[in-house]
Amino acid sequence: MVQFNADTREIAVKVVYYGPALSGKTTNLQALFRKIDPKVRGRLMTLDTKDDRTLFFDMMPVFFRTKAGVKVKLKLYTVPGQVMHESTRRIVLQGTDAVAFVADSRRSEAAPTLAYWNNMLKNLEANGLDYRTLPIVIQMNKRDLDDARGEGELGDLLRVIQPPIVPAVAIRGEGVVETLHAVLQRCYRSLDRHFGLEEQWQIPEREFLGQILSHVDLRGARLPAEAGAR
Amino acid sequence: MSLPPSFLQQKLPLGDLLDVRAFGEVCHSFAELYRIGLKVFDEAGNKLVDVKVGNADFCGYVWSKPPGREQCIATVGRVKGEDVGEEPRATRVVCFSGCEYVVQPILYEGDVLGRVVFGPFVPEELVELPAPLRAIAPGDDAKKVEAFQARIRRVRPEAAEKILKHFMDLLDVMVFSGHKNLIAAKLHIEAVTESYRELQEKNRQLEDSYAKLKELDRLKSNFLATMSHELRTPLTSVIGYSEMMLEGLGGPLTSEQREYLGIIMEKGENLLQLITSILDISKIEAGRVRLVLSEVDATQLMRDAVATVLPLARKKGLKVSCEPAQLPRVQADRDKLRQCLVNLCSNAVKFTPAGGTINVSSEALPGDRVAIHVTDTGIGIGEEHLPKVFDVFYQVDGSSTREYGGAGLGLAIVKSFVEAHGGEVTVRSTLGQGTTFALVLPREPSAVLALTPIAAPTPFVGRTG
Repeated sequence: MVQFNADTREIAVKVVYYGPALSGKTTNLQALFRKIDPKVRGRLMTLDTKDDRTLFFDMMPVFFRTKAGVKVKLKLYTVPGQVMHESTRRIVLQGTDAVAFVADSRRSEAAPTLAYWNNMLKNLEANGLDYRTLPIVIQMNKRDLDDARGEGELGDLLRVIQPPIVPAVAIRGEGVVETLHAVLQRCYRSLDRHFGLEEQWQIPEREFLGQILSHVDLRGARLPAEAGAR
Repeated sequence: MSLPPSFLQQKLPLGDLLDVRAFGEVCHSFAELYRIGLKVFDEAGNKLVDVKVGNADFCGYVWSKPPGREQCIATVGRVKGEDVGEEPRATRVVCFSGCEYVVQPILYEGDVLGRVVFGPFVPEELVELPAPLRAIAPGDDAKKVEAFQARIRRVRPEAAEKILKHFMDLLDVMVFSGHKNLIAAKLHIEAVTESYRELQEKNRQLEDSYAKLKELDRLKSNFLATMSHELRTPLTSVIGYSEMMLEGLGGPLTSEQREYLGIIMEKGENLLQLITSILDISKIEAGRVRLVLSEVDATQLMRDAVATVLPLARKKGLKVSCEPAQLPRVQADRDKLRQCLVNLCSNAVKFTPAGGTINVSSEALPGDRVAIHVTDTGIGIGEEHLPKVFDVFYQVDGSSTREYGGAGLGLAIVKSFVEAHGGEVTVRSTLGQGTTFALVLPREPSAVLALTPIAAPTPFVGRTG
């Protein structure tokens, strides 16, 4: 749940990267860490990895102050993908404002991906979050692999699920900024609807996204024309 | 269901992110190295660390003079409270005494967690005591104060800022690792707690469904007992009237009619036996069995059982022998013990192919016990099935096309009855070679009778009772 502090004029927003084991959640955060200006982000905290697998989660803070003087603190989390860390996933998901679901595009991974999607819906429910109203973006990662689902198949998928799909090759940094942009845009709109970011806090969408994206290395990123404007 | 709030949602004070004692040691060593004092405050203004280097006498003197004390308090107020912004930059704070401090906010993840106050030091360019200080230290005191001030390090303020920046870099790493350790430890606990909560929830559900299943099982046993009884009543009439017709009470019969009636009677008897078994087992399961104990001659019962199965065994071409030993009489329920032996013997006949032999023998065991063995040269039982053969409705071959019929109740009944006597039944078998069931009974069932009902048996509900 987004935290507003009217006294200190602060807003804390939480975004969670969820997805099956080895789908590339940590890789997404690592790519963003490289692309985001250190002035507006903290260190990438990777908690207890063993054999390059996330045991608890990764976390990276991004922060900026709006023209109206509101401090926006955005925390990006990943969940541990391995099945046994179910309770940790549930805890990390607590109070999230938006979710980027990182899926492995390969056909062979379709079944586990669906299982994790359902698992996420269950864990959202356990946290009192409604997947029908929560901003969710799906990243179809590993588009470069041979077995990846084709465009047509993604189109079919779009017909049955609500969230938008962003293609990506996170390991090469492709699609990660687009995913962040898509998830933040949806997140902004949802928060604006519920808490009046523009009315009450004088933060228009353009500034919210622009403040972050103006500190991101956008080379190679394909974003809507207005995004990234300072 | 909703989870308790995670600490991930909370903002943590500086003191929680650092091991304050270890951090204090680092600060001491750092301050010693540069010979400049160091103070660290958290966001709420609590002093976490205070290292004084060289300024004790000087500040002590200033503090001893009321005007000095007043101005000292003002300086302390400024280093603690002055707005130093939210940028990683040092702010210079000059004391009336000519000494200086550099102050910098501790920034972490965009938040201000507190501030570091580095000083006092004497700026390199200061050549003489400033006027306000001279005003409180007149005459000879001036020399003393100068001497005190000489113990405070002289340094260019730019250099002090550089040293402070270096300290802030160190502090940033310490806060980051402290935060990381704290999160790892706390999340570990939260994850374990959450897993435990989930397990408990699942256990509770399992217990619920177990209780429900047990209740259903009890209802099933009741139903079986009632139904078996209801089935038996009309069947008795079928058998009885067939018998009457066979005896010619309904008039003369043709030989074909006799044959058919014979078949009706035989099958009726089979059916009756089956229903009786079901009734027995449901009584056992409902805890309604009552033993009627009397002095029983086991040898006689063995002969009875053999006699019962003999016709069928002959028909199958089996040799049946009975080798009773000299046995004392035992205290037992005659009917139930006979049924046990008949069940074991019938099984032996059923599972032994033509040409095989069946042997029923007995022996007296030490400890006032007797054993009866029923041995066959039949098809045997695979090792994996041995532990289950006494389970209700268990069939080694449970398929619908199995070669050997039966309801899977015989051995379950044997086991229950024998155990009700305080005895035990065991089995040894080799696949393809044969099976031996051993029935061991105490001569006198002592503190036994698990199956003896505590309450009186519930009467059956039915038309004929």
